[in-house]
Amino acid sequence: MIAEEPRVDAAKVTELAKDLETELARLIVGQQALVRDTVIALIAGGHVLLEGVPGLGKTVLVRSLGHALSMSFSRIQFTPDLMPADIVGTNVIGDEAGRREFHYQPGPIFANLVLADEINRATPKTQSALLEAMQERTVTVGTQTRPLPSPFFVLATQNPIELEGTYPLPEAQLDRFFFKVLVPFPGEKDLLEIARRTTGESTPQLRAVADGDAILAAQRVAREVPIAEHVLLYAARLIGATHPDRTELDGVRRYVRWGASPRGLQTLVLAAKVRALLEGRYNVAFDDLSAVAQPALRHRIFLQFEAEADGISADRLITDILEHTVKESARA
Amino acid sequence: MNSLETILRQLRRAAARARAASYAVHGLVAAGAWIAAVLVIARLVPFERRAEVAAIGVPVAAALVVLAWSLRRPSAPLLMALADIRLGLKERLSTAWERRAEAGPMDGALRQDALRHAAGASLVRAFPVRVNRGEASLVAVLTIFALGLALLPNPMDRVLAQRQADRASQARAAKVVTDAQKKVAASDKPNPQVEKILQDTQAKIREAASPRKALESITPAEQQLQRLTDPGTPALNSSAQNLANALSGTAAGRGAAQAISSSPAKGAQAVRDLASQLQTLSPKDREELAKALAKASQQAQNAPMRDSLSKAASSLQSGDTSAAAQSLNDVASQLDSLQAQQNTDQAVASAINGLEAARQELAAQADRDATGQGAQANAGTSASPGASPGAGASGNGNGSTGTGTGTGTGIGTGTGTGTGNGGTGGNGGTGGNGGNGSGTGSGSGAQSTERVYVPGQPVPGQSQNDPTPLGPGQDVPTSPYSQVIQAYQQAALDATDQSLIPGSERDLVRQYFSQLGEQSAAGPK
Repeated sequence: MIAEEPRVDAAKVTELAKDLETELARLIVGQQALVRDTVIALIAGGHVLLEGVPGLGKTVLVRSLGHALSMSFSRIQFTPDLMPADIVGTNVIGDEAGRREFHYQPGPIFANLVLADEINRATPKTQSALLEAMQERTVTVGTQTRPLPSPFFVLATQNPIELEGTYPLPEAQLDRFFFKVLVPFPGEKDLLEIARRTTGESTPQLRAVADGDAILAAQRVAREVPIAEHVLLYAARLIGATHPDRTELDGVRRYVRWGASPRGLQTLVLAAKVRALLEGRYNVAFDDLSAVAQPALRHRIFLQFEAEADGISADRLITDILEHTVKESARA
Repeated sequence: MNSLETILRQLRRAAARARAASYAVHGLVAAGAWIAAVLVIARLVPFERRAEVAAIGVPVAAALVVLAWSLRRPSAPLLMALADIRLGLKERLSTAWERRAEAGPMDGALRQDALRHAAGASLVRAFPVRVNRGEASLVAVLTIFALGLALLPNPMDRVLAQRQADRASQARAAKVVTDAQKKVAASDKPNPQVEKILQDTQAKIREAASPRKALESITPAEQQLQRLTDPGTPALNSSAQNLANALSGTAAGRGAAQAISSSPAKGAQAVRDLASQLQTLSPKDREELAKALAKASQQAQNAPMRDSLSKAASSLQSGDTSAAAQSLNDVASQLDSLQAQQNTDQAVASAINGLEAARQELAAQADRDATGQGAQANAGTSASPGASPGAGASGNGNGSTGTGTGTGTGIGTGTGTGTGNGGTGGNGGTGGNGGNGSGTGSGSGAQSTERVYVPGQPVPGQSQNDPTPLGPGQDVPTSPYSQVIQAYQQAALDATDQSLIPGSERDLVRQYFSQLGEQSAAGPK
């Protein structure tokens, strides 16, 4: 009989995520998957690209997340004339003890939660200003590199239908996002609830349920979740199956130009670990991988023009891959 | 709460039960397929031990299934992973088992969580005893199919029965030949050459692939046997009989005549005795003896015998008894050689009788095979009873007395009896075949493949009135050519009607017998 007590309090992570989801649900109507994916990315320490038409609550979600977490929050509205310095900050001349000298003025990127609203409206030059911040969690201005606050969490939004005057994110930057979450249009019941909540006298005020330290602790705990070899092998097979030269799926061979990167595998496994914790488990299951495969891989699979012409989406290909990738134990 | 090892043991037992059921069905499928395949093959080709071969598939399939079942036991990680999937344990057991020796920050919690969920699940349900419906249906279909094949008449049964009948027939034919060999060996004067030929022939008959093939070994054996006989023997025998006839009218030679009539060996001794007594004979007896010898010399068909008798007669007439005695001793020597040759001929005749009986047996079976009745009972036309009577048909009519009886199986004529009275030296022993004799005989009709031997042309110097010499294989009654030709024609035509013979070939057979019939009307030659 085993009577060991867990040395890591995974239950606290589960509780934290549940509290966070509950708090967000007070303001965000429906969109449970959106909230769940956002929380998973937050605990995994990744950034999220939210894609949806205007008015679906993307910005509200991020703002609400900022309120629910006792962390600094900043919002950057991306426009074509936005400059990199407007994000990362710049050196300005100021009086310092009677002497005029340059000193660094931090940009809005220096926050725990950063909302990059309509990120695809900024020029590539400005978009690339986020690259270092998102990957290295540092900002270099001039010759000096400054660390960003920890935890650092970027939530970017983009509108998929307004393409004029936009600059699609380059593949390298897309790969920096942990998840790409699609914000669906709410159902009729949710619409009614939205109308009730937001057109009354008062709107709910969110309380902070966690702080940065709790999030950092949860991130550490999430990485300790064990994953069995055959489950890991399944994750690797999923990634391999997104590549047209490694898969036996006709759809992938025909429509995919380039499959998911190894970073996609990291994302898949880490997200699955977080999801396992959120589900109250201490191990990664096949279901976890399946559940996070869409947000983790959809922006890492680059399709041919033919796919667009035939109306084939990355999500549909991922669904096919999940259906056809064999689990080793299931084969026995 | 159970430990992981306990859970593994439970899973192993459950998996073993489930796999046993599954493998048992596999085994049933394999055994059913084997039996059905054997029965199908047994309908396409003659397969004698099909029941044994089909039955042996069952234990072989069972052994293979048990072997596969024991060798292909799933590993512990696989059992855990399968249990996870089938019981919805979300990879808890497999992860915990894989990390059972780890001491990571979350491993303890993982094990507790896995054991708690496993305790709440029925582990046996992970490996239910379930039979694949398709396989079960296949077993049912194979069983019905195999039963149908086993119960419905098999066209190959007839072929197998024919084979058995063929083998039995060959065994009987070989036994007949062996009996003939024993008989030759048991005779007063065994002949090793004849025995060897019979021994080889019976071996060939046994080993032949079919009665028809076995038949092919009989004719060469007969030819070998016939080469052992001397064609001059009938003439010498006739000369000896003439000598006996001539001496019987003399006072001095009457005893020798009787001895010669009894047997050439006794005759030889009597002639020697006569030669030693020549000097003591009265002149009258000598003259009488000389005349008899001269007469015998004139009738002798054998040249040496004629010369010796002539010399003896002339020497006796001239009073040279010593020369006459010498010549008579030469006659005695020729009688000795006649005796020896007769012994050989008897052995050959006995052997040929055996071979002919075997031929009848094999020919009858081959004919049944050809007419599709080869699988019928073997005893119906067995010729084996004919062998003994045939061999015993030694009723040689003596030309001087002109009567004789003989019973037995004629060669190739089935069973029959014959009596005959030789009016003037006819040979009754051969079923009344004498020059002026009459004979009656009764016997079964000749079968289509039976051979009928009829007397051939007389040897040079032999008249129709002379007794028919007994040649090899002719120490049994034979039938007159004219009597058998009709029966044989009918039998041959019947056979052509029964067999798949083209009409043109039947015409050939009919034409052949018509020609024979014409010759028969003209008289046998």
